[in-house]
Amino acid sequence: MMLFGKEGQEHLQDATIFIAGAGGLGSPVSMYLAVLGVGTLIIADNDRVDQTNLNRQILYRDQDIGRRKAAVAGERLQELNPDITVRAVDATIDQNTVSSLTRDADGIVDALDDFPTRYLLNSAALERGIPLFHGGISGFFGQATTILPGKTPCLRCIIPRPPPAEVFPVAGVTAGFIGMIQVTEVCKYLLCRGDLLAGRLLLWDGMQGRIEEIPVETDPDCEACAGKYTAIS
Amino acid sequence: MKITVRFFARFGELLGNTREIEAREGISVIDLVKEAASGNKAGFDTIFDEEGAFRDFVIVMRNKKRIRTQDAGSIPVGEGDEIAVFPPVAGG
Ligand SMILES: [Zn+2]
Repeated sequence: MMLFGKEGQEHLQDATIFIAGAGGLGSPVSMYLAVLGVGTLIIADNDRVDQTNLNRQILYRDQDIGRRKAAVAGERLQELNPDITVRAVDATIDQNTVSSLTRDADGIVDALDDFPTRYLLNSAALERGIPLFHGGISGFFGQATTILPGKTPCLRCIIPRPPPAEVFPVAGVTAGFIGMIQVTEVCKYLLCRGDLLAGRLLLWDGMQGRIEEIPVETDPDCEACAGKYTAIS
Repeated sequence: MKITVRFFARFGELLGNTREIEAREGISVIDLVKEAASGNKAGFDTIFDEEGAFRDFVIVMRNKKRIRTQDAGSIPVGEGDEIAVFPPVAGG
């Protein structure tokens, strides 16, 4: 309350954020958005809790193994903050579900682990004109950026072709690190404060302890946004 | 001329994070990166496909500015340039 003031806290309270995925990124992202006091959280996942998830998916505990992630995530987030509304949806994010899942959202957090589905989120964000807070991780490496439709390059401008599916396990701390960057972005966006990672791709190399930032540009031939929007210079 | 090639994340693990290459005048970006990656087959194959082109997800920067990897064969490298090669990652 002190940090954001009464007005800031009300902005958070009035917001609805959709979290796509309740895995490595989705766990810390949803927990911190819950305790920040973001008024409505919608979180979607179609998976069950597996023992191998527990090193990084901190929403879940040993006794949750075998349960639906959405059900557990809903309970845990509501426990963390009883004053917010949590809608945990046991659903696959695909072409049929993406628009209804994102319909009420003021912003989308990308906590997915594959690019084809990320491109669906990207298109949904472009269509609705809401930000997409992108994160991706592998091992001790990660990246993040904030996509503002009409103002920044879209995800497909930045990463036009999907990187191969990850074969390396994710370190839990990397999910925490990149997830916290995403939550910081959501927070700044909702409070209209600070400088967003807009038009900038942040790259984290945990092994080297280095953060790099690369400027990204709109691709005039982008499959997702070409002709729909003009970038700010 | 001396050119610095920087590899990030998984590329850096396989190839070393910073490589100083003694390059011939007029060498293209792609040939320079190939030379820098030539010491490690796994690293090379992670960046280049069977035809020797950059894999389509690879991000290449020249002096902090992104270049289209399709053009990397025709962009010459100059003295003092820094080339950086990044792999975006897909996990979550
Ligand atoms: Zn685009």
